[in-house]
Amino acid sequence: MASVESSTEFTSSLTVSSNLPPPRTRIFKIIVIGDSGVGKTCLTYRFCAGKFPEKTEATIGVDFREKLIDIDGETIKVQLWDTAGQERFRKSMVQHYYRNVHAVVFVYDVTSAASFRSLPAWIEECKQHALGQEVPRILVGNKCDLLNSVQVGTDLAQQFADAHSMPLFETSAKNPGSGDGGSRGSSDHVEAIFMTVAHKLKSQKPLILSQPPGGVLAGDTVTLRRGRNDSEEKESWACSC
Amino acid sequence: MKKSRSVGASSPLNGIGRQDGDSRRKRKVAEISQALNVTPVDVAVLRRMAISEGGLLTDEIRCKVWPWLLNVPTDTLPEEPEAVERENNKDYNQVLLDVQRSLRRFPPGMPDEQREGLQEELIDIILRVLGRNTQLHYYQGYHDIVVTFLLVLGERLATALVEKLSTHHLRDFMDPTMDNTKHILNYLMPIIERVNPEVHDFMQQAEVGTIFALSWLITWFGHVLSDFRHVVRLYDFFLACHPLMPIYFAAVIVLYREDEVLDCECDMASVHHLLSQIPQDLPYETLISRAGDLFVQFPPSELAREAAQQYSQHSSSLTLINCHPSLRTAASTFKDFDLASEQQRPDSVLRRRRREKQALDGASAGAVVATAQPTAARRLVRLAVMGLTVALGAAALTLVNTALEWAPKLDLQLFP
Repeated sequence: MASVESSTEFTSSLTVSSNLPPPRTRIFKIIVIGDSGVGKTCLTYRFCAGKFPEKTEATIGVDFREKLIDIDGETIKVQLWDTAGQERFRKSMVQHYYRNVHAVVFVYDVTSAASFRSLPAWIEECKQHALGQEVPRILVGNKCDLLNSVQVGTDLAQQFADAHSMPLFETSAKNPGSGDGGSRGSSDHVEAIFMTVAHKLKSQKPLILSQPPGGVLAGDTVTLRRGRNDSEEKESWACSC
Repeated sequence: MKKSRSVGASSPLNGIGRQDGDSRRKRKVAEISQALNVTPVDVAVLRRMAISEGGLLTDEIRCKVWPWLLNVPTDTLPEEPEAVERENNKDYNQVLLDVQRSLRRFPPGMPDEQREGLQEELIDIILRVLGRNTQLHYYQGYHDIVVTFLLVLGERLATALVEKLSTHHLRDFMDPTMDNTKHILNYLMPIIERVNPEVHDFMQQAEVGTIFALSWLITWFGHVLSDFRHVVRLYDFFLACHPLMPIYFAAVIVLYREDEVLDCECDMASVHHLLSQIPQDLPYETLISRAGDLFVQFPPSELAREAAQQYSQHSSSLTLINCHPSLRTAASTFKDFDLASEQQRPDSVLRRRRREKQALDGASAGAVVATAQPTAARRLVRLAVMGLTVALGAAALTLVNTALEWAPKLDLQLFP
């Protein structure tokens, strides 16, 4: 159902123009934030290019990746804005890229308690950019293939996610499918995670068109509130990838 | 600009006139060595050598000349750099994280063991300089600059030069916040506007911002260029010039790609993506010479005024938004959602204007790009005249003079 039409993790401007969809293709703009080194670049690269990047470097400022996906016959362009983790960048540099964002992905590293402790600051950061609970937000714990180094347990993360009305996903950009993922058997696939967000965005689009923003806020968080436990929705995506 | 000014771009490395290139190279080596051997050392000549075609040619020469360009005496350096305290160091974790990931900065084929040793030295240099200068704050990308100095100079010399560089050229980037860095980035669009208003307008329309050039600026392109020879060539140039030169060079790269930019979808993502992917086969010597020209024509003092005026005129401009974050957050996210959808359509007005312009230009092929706007045309004619008449030598002299004028005020921040 959610087949991938093409990946536009392009390397040159020539491919940009040849891969460009018709002008009316809808764009979902998703910003990916979290501490330095939690794996934001690897996650976005994994989704857009379908593989784990061999050598990634510190992201300076903002990087941008995109991918065309197909949802129910509609081609949608998913734009991922991969941001620098260091605090000094987020304060004055990255703010421009919070504009017109449709969804937020918070990332922490399951092997770094510090990166988990930073999450409230990141959530606050989003609120300051007018990205509160009315915008779909998800929490991603990365590097769950490193079983022996886990510092942030699934239960703790789930409590936090529930408290902030976000679905939680645990994954490994490097080795999806590894890690015991707590009681669930296996970790989430990066692909499925971003597709879930895309579906969420697509499903709320009619609301956006027909209702003023205030009207959307109230009903919006309900469906994803218990996302992690809402195995039906998630598994349907895990299967299709 | 691109078409009209490729003349004179031939570099000895391109194989054009190799013999001529070889002899010019020998002459240059001799000139540099002479400048180093006179008393006092002729730093003005060294600056000119660093700017002019080919730069300082070899790392061996760089080891001798870079200290002079930064006015670092090498005879009084301690034999052994002081030890570094890593425990309880506030910067250690971030530096370690960035250095560990900087594998691409080391020559391909270097044995892991050697690379790991250099990475340890890299961490030490950074922590040492930060520890001695508590007013300086580490930023991601600083390590890209330091690794270049380490690879060219070795730990001992690199420590001394990086410290000087950090308290001078890089000083603004190392503030507690990046506000001054943003200020420097704000020079980019005025430079582009002076040379090609159409590209400027297109970029403003796309609201692309200037963050695509952030890593260029704060790493002196060390983060984005994969060929180390290109990086050190640029460092020769930047070390010999005013600290704002990297932003002129950034503008020159955008202008060099004017056709690609104007062919791009007029939206933030497309233009940001295009520009942040820097071509690896840039004609560096030509671009260096152009950046020098632009600096001479549009010195920072002039741009500062222009920039201020421009920002007050364009109420919808990105820079205004940058200046007043509250304006941006006022917009409703959901309204923006639809707005964003509309903005995906290529801006037909800009495209039509471009087509009309191309039709007009047909007759004067090879000439500097002209546009319908009279003021713009005037500016470009001025540039064309400069481009044709100002040999790099003359431009370099002016640059050297600017650098010298600037040198005594080294301790001042650009934007205190």
